Amino acid sequence: MTGRVLRALAITLIVVWSLAPIAIGLVTSFSTQRDVQAVPARWLPEQPTLDAYRSLLGGTSSQRAGGTVAESGTYSKALLNSTIVTLLSTLAVLAVAVSGAYGFSRLEFPGRRTLFWAISALIIIPVFMVVIALFRLMADAHLIDHKLGLVLVFAATQTPLALLLMRNYIAELPLEPEEAALIDGCTRWQAFWRVVVPQMSSGIAALAAIVMLAVWGEFLIPLLLTSTLNSKTVTVVIPEFVGKYTTNYPLLAAAGVLAVLPPAIVALVLNRHIRGMLHGSS
Amino acid sequence: MARPDAGIVLEGVRKEFPGGVVAVDDFSLEVAPGEFVVLVGPSGCGKSTTLRMVAGLEPMTAGAVQIGGRDVTRFPPRHRDVAMVFQNYALYAHMTVAANIGFGLKMNDMPKAEIEPRVQRAAEILGITDLLKRKPRQLSGGQRQRVAMGRAIVREPAAFLMDEPLSNLDAKLRVEMRAEITNVQRRIGAPTLYVTHDQTEAMTMGDRVAILRDGVLEQLGTPLELYDAPVNVFVAAFIGSPAMNLIDATIEVESDTWFARFGDARVPIPHDRRESLVPFAGRPVRLGLRPEDLGRDGEGAIELPVIRTESLGSETIAYLDAGGERPLIARFDRRAPLAAGRHARIPVDLDRLYFFDADTGAAIR
Repeated sequence: MTGRVLRALAITLIVVWSLAPIAIGLVTSFSTQRDVQAVPARWLPEQPTLDAYRSLLGGTSSQRAGGTVAESGTYSKALLNSTIVTLLSTLAVLAVAVSGAYGFSRLEFPGRRTLFWAISALIIIPVFMVVIALFRLMADAHLIDHKLGLVLVFAATQTPLALLLMRNYIAELPLEPEEAALIDGCTRWQAFWRVVVPQMSSGIAALAAIVMLAVWGEFLIPLLLTSTLNSKTVTVVIPEFVGKYTTNYPLLAAAGVLAVLPPAIVALVLNRHIRGMLHGSS
Repeated sequence: MARPDAGIVLEGVRKEFPGGVVAVDDFSLEVAPGEFVVLVGPSGCGKSTTLRMVAGLEPMTAGAVQIGGRDVTRFPPRHRDVAMVFQNYALYAHMTVAANIGFGLKMNDMPKAEIEPRVQRAAEILGITDLLKRKPRQLSGGQRQRVAMGRAIVREPAAFLMDEPLSNLDAKLRVEMRAEITNVQRRIGAPTLYVTHDQTEAMTMGDRVAILRDGVLEQLGTPLELYDAPVNVFVAAFIGSPAMNLIDATIEVESDTWFARFGDARVPIPHDRRESLVPFAGRPVRLGLRPEDLGRDGEGAIELPVIRTESLGSETIAYLDAGGERPLIARFDRRAPLAAGRHARIPVDLDRLYFFDADTGAAIR
């Protein structure tokens, strides 16, 4: 009995802890600067307004008066950058991790174990350790402030974990459908593409979600490798809304809300895909 | 192209796994066109490995395989023109039943217009036409098994390979599918290699049965040949249910009468068996008695205490104390007056005695 009460209490605490900032952000984004600065504090805006979103997406230079940077299209451009970089990185990681994991778990070749563990071991190297070298490398390759540069770095940093997850996932898959496909006339590649990959759809969806969320929220690497709106992502642009003397909180909150939306949708949609499938094959 | 009038030929097939474990050793077998051959043996005897080598899923260490008159030893699975049914069905979960069955045809570049009627015909043979639009997960075990069969027969392959296709089904369905698979195979007429660990399946389905132990072929023959004339103790014990009683006995000779003695019991040996037993006179042998040759009619008779009885309705199984570790099993008529703890007189069919060399286990005939 006490166990259940404690459990309920713990869950409530976690939910409040996680949702409160989002709720506060959401409310703030519909407020005016006056609501935010009111004393005594006002929990809800007097008159809910979409002004913050309007100026964020439309952009007006009058915001400069508040000490924030929200030139026309700044935020939309950053959103677009984030989306492109996230999608391309995810595709790259999936392509490498899914086919690589298949090779590592199903094919025999010399050095298989060594190579696999060498790649997996990269997971433990924090990006901070290689930041300076990475910057030099990208500068030499003329990939600073390039979306492609970000994509390459994200693909490289996300692949080891993705490969490890995928290999374990494939190891659990039944071998027989694949063998049946080989007997049914498939080459190894056709069997992989027509039978194994569809069998893995839930795993691939889950992996795609994990990678997308990780890349979308990445801050340090874009901060380091971007300098203009040519490649700046939302995570880099939002902090720029914090002014030296004052901050337009509704604008900041609206930017935050819009930045949270895509990953939230991804998590919700793909969450459903993670289950199912596979039930019929064995 | 594969010839339909040719069977499956295995010549000196050997499989040695890395680490030196020999799963199959010098295995040769010929499956005639249209023939149904069952590979049977305890788990780990190499029967599945053999089948997988025929399919091309497992590389061979040595030997050769011919299918449909072609040497396919070096061919990948897709060029061997075989169809395989797996133990866990191995259906493509993301495809409909129709797509599952037609997949092999599609991969072999058959036009869609030709695939459809063939899928339809295969589905008719197996009675699954109403399931064609479903996905595998919506099917029962028996239905999935039929789809797996459909996928195999639709291709009209040069050979069928089946790897314990019935062992995931419940007992009743297994009996049904047993008959169905043999019927379908007769109809299609492709040579078939069927792997099972179940001797009942082997006996009821196979035109011939190959018994494997530790990667070696112990005996190959028709079910009745194996049953009536097992070459050694292993085959004798493996075929038949309940299994043959194997008793340590001694051959005794008293003037003109020969006996096999175990404990206090003495089983007289008929004249025609004596010649082969001469070298064993006065020595220990393994005496084999099938349960159905005990407890019915027979000139011989032994008296043994009854440990317990099991009434099956149609008959009564008696467990008798023959002095050995394991009880002697006899199948009595259902009305036989048997009581646990009492001695019973057990008729023995003397024409059906089996003798095996106590050291080598080989049959003495």
